[in-house]
Amino acid sequence: MSESLLSPPLTGPGPRRVPLPLITNPSEGPVKQSAKDFRSAEEVRWCPGCGDYAILAAVQGFLPELGLRRENIVFVSGIGCSSRFPYYMNTYGMHSIHGRAPAIATGLSVSRPDLSVWVITGDGDALSIGGNHLIHALRRNVNLKILLFNNRIYGLTKGQYSPTSEPGKITKSTPMGSLDTPFNPVSLAVGAGAGFVARTVDSDRKHLTSVLRAAAEYEGTALVEIYQNCNIFNDGAFEVLKNPATRDDHLLRLEQGQPLRYGSDGEHTIVRDAAGSLRPAAEAGATEGSDAEVIHDAHAADPALAFALSRLPENGGPTPIGVFRSVARPSYDRQVAEQLEQAVQASGPGDLDALLAGRDHWTV
Amino acid sequence: MTYVIGTNCVDVKDRTCIAECPVDCIYEGERMLYIHPDECVDCGACEPVCPVEAIYPADTLPTEWLWHLDAATAVTAGREDEPDAGPVDDHPDVLKLPARTGSA
Repeated sequence: MSESLLSPPLTGPGPRRVPLPLITNPSEGPVKQSAKDFRSAEEVRWCPGCGDYAILAAVQGFLPELGLRRENIVFVSGIGCSSRFPYYMNTYGMHSIHGRAPAIATGLSVSRPDLSVWVITGDGDALSIGGNHLIHALRRNVNLKILLFNNRIYGLTKGQYSPTSEPGKITKSTPMGSLDTPFNPVSLAVGAGAGFVARTVDSDRKHLTSVLRAAAEYEGTALVEIYQNCNIFNDGAFEVLKNPATRDDHLLRLEQGQPLRYGSDGEHTIVRDAAGSLRPAAEAGATEGSDAEVIHDAHAADPALAFALSRLPENGGPTPIGVFRSVARPSYDRQVAEQLEQAVQASGPGDLDALLAGRDHWTV
Repeated sequence: MTYVIGTNCVDVKDRTCIAECPVDCIYEGERMLYIHPDECVDCGACEPVCPVEAIYPADTLPTEWLWHLDAATAVTAGREDEPDAGPVDDHPDVLKLPARTGSA
């Protein structure tokens, strides 16, 4: 192997967390960016009306807030309609292997602490093909921001049921209705030990942006489920949550430290009954017997509340959106860096060339 | 970028585009409809459903309709904070257009 390929030698301390480099101009301070700076020259190719356009616009509109150099941001995607996302971002990006974006992003994030790494995935890519990779990234708390576009259908392959399709759903691959119990991505993430779990809706730009902001601030794996319409193969997937006539009665906006109220005038509430379950109560503020009104606490160490909230729709309650859980956990990246530093302190910087050319080997 | 509604919409206002828009960025004036250029996400759902071919992406807008982008920008300014506040006031240059009857 030529000298240049191994140069500089792979020795010395490993990666460590460093503050991401902000764009600054010595004379003027931080440089102002706009959404335009994050648009690539590629023609955007999704079906007209696809929810992906709204998410792309929201992400491009939000990224300037971070003040990071574009070359320090990476979008890694798997396979699916949403996974075309990196082409349209004027950042680094990778359209990777089906379901494996979290694995590739894990390596990138751990070895390049100067990067802000985002994963773009869908309900099929993340929960079926890549279900394994997703849960392991979540449990490790790698410093990744995972945006899971959930439209409850396989759109790219023209309309088969996905791991989040409703029971009984009739699709090309379930002509008599789906028999599968769907995954609830938020429940799954909380169950996998994720430190940050949130949900938002593609068409609500303000809410989507606020959730992206919270995810970006979190050090560790942030999973954001984004309800997204597929107007070709699953049109109206979340219509009841989007239609102004119905959304107030079906959408619960989670706010830290606030009671769980919903309805057009906040007239409905969620209470915890004697058995510990969450359920809708008839009237806001009213306590029925021993039932207690619940105050949202995303920072609670115990994931029980976040999990119970995630199950509300399955238990006849409204669908919560917002941050379910945001709990500080040591990030995988930081721990790896610390471990490498300890190893260097204990055993010296090491010499990869010597290791590769050395006599230390095993025979099997 | 954004999509822009041009003169063909004036006094027609078919409104199919409003139902089609996934982000509710089309606002109704007295004489025509306007797309909020900052709320538009460029998804293109409105363009094919317009029966009078009034909608174009801003970069392929017919030259004589270029002023409609500025008109829409002015008319919809601030509406992102109060989307349900009812119809918008038509742009003065739209009000000056001659009355149109029948299909375009």
